Amino acid sequence: MNCKKVKRLLSLIVGSEIPPSKTSAIKAHLEKCPECQHEYDSYILFLEKTKEWLARDRKDWEDREWQGAVQKAIKEGKHEVTPFVLWPVKKAWAYALMGVLAAALALLFVVRPSFIEKEKAPGSEVLTQTWAQLSGALLEESQQDAISMTIVSKETGLKIVWFFNRNFKLED
Amino acid sequence: MWMKSEDELVEKVLKRDHASFELLLQPHRQGLLNMAYRMTGNLEEAKEVCQEALIKIYRYLNKFKKGKNFKSWIYKITLNSTYDFLRRKKKYDDIVESQKGVLPVVGPDPERQLMNREIKEKIEASLQNLSPKEKAVFLLRDGEGFSVEETSEVLGSSSISVRTHLSRARQKIRAQFEKIGLAGKREVKG
Repeated sequence: MNCKKVKRLLSLIVGSEIPPSKTSAIKAHLEKCPECQHEYDSYILFLEKTKEWLARDRKDWEDREWQGAVQKAIKEGKHEVTPFVLWPVKKAWAYALMGVLAAALALLFVVRPSFIEKEKAPGSEVLTQTWAQLSGALLEESQQDAISMTIVSKETGLKIVWFFNRNFKLED
Repeated sequence: MWMKSEDELVEKVLKRDHASFELLLQPHRQGLLNMAYRMTGNLEEAKEVCQEALIKIYRYLNKFKKGKNFKSWIYKITLNSTYDFLRRKKKYDDIVESQKGVLPVVGPDPERQLMNREIKEKIEASLQNLSPKEKAVFLLRDGEGFSVEETSEVLGSSSISVRTHLSRARQKIRAQFEKIGLAGKREVKG
């Protein structure tokens, strides 16, 4: 370790910011070199003075002022509440979701009609015809035009009879 | 142990216990103010900066990660608020002027008083010759007693960068001291 190197490192040696591995070599040099030792002592004194002054000339809040500042911070600095956002939150994800929805809609409006067409196979037409014939026959068979409902009192034996037409409307 | 109680206080503040917010910041109230004061060079502006920082600390407290260094976190916010303030006001060019004749030094001994005032003026003037980063490093390390690691955490830079800036800051300040013969004279040993 030479004088030039030691002097260059002095500003950090005095504050113990040099790794211990280097410190021993520097200390060995200082013991041998009075000039560097003097420089070191002078630097130490300078740093002590500076720190002493910085510590002595400290400013502080007045208690009321400090409490006011804290209260203002509480009032104005309300915690950030993350708004409830459904997944996805990122723009890219939103575009991806839109794409998927568009594809789904395309499936509904484009693919599905052709799918229905395919379902109308000869077999299904027969089934539809059979159902229409059956329901028609049932309608024809039904000749009843009215229905009656009778209420009988157990105590007096009084009977009330209501007649309803095909449309379930009360008839006189 | 202290870290644990700080974490507990953070939890309490997040549960709307407002009294805990003051307790949480109480140990740092002087440090934050001094940091801002030395950076801006004006006590009223420093208070303004601290107010802004306190609001941000409260607002973003839910983003503070448990177990991390709370002190570094709040100093980082305050330092960033100071930079914002200085940028807004474009104060850099006017700082030296505004710092002239700040508060008088109180001391019983007139000779010592004169010496103290001289040191104070020189330190203040030399602080203004430092770059913002050099000043921040110097104030955190030598003013607030932060370790190199804590300082690098506050500034978001490497410990090598912190050492480089610290070395430069001390050299510049010492050069100012040497000009008026305050650099510290001791008898040469041996």
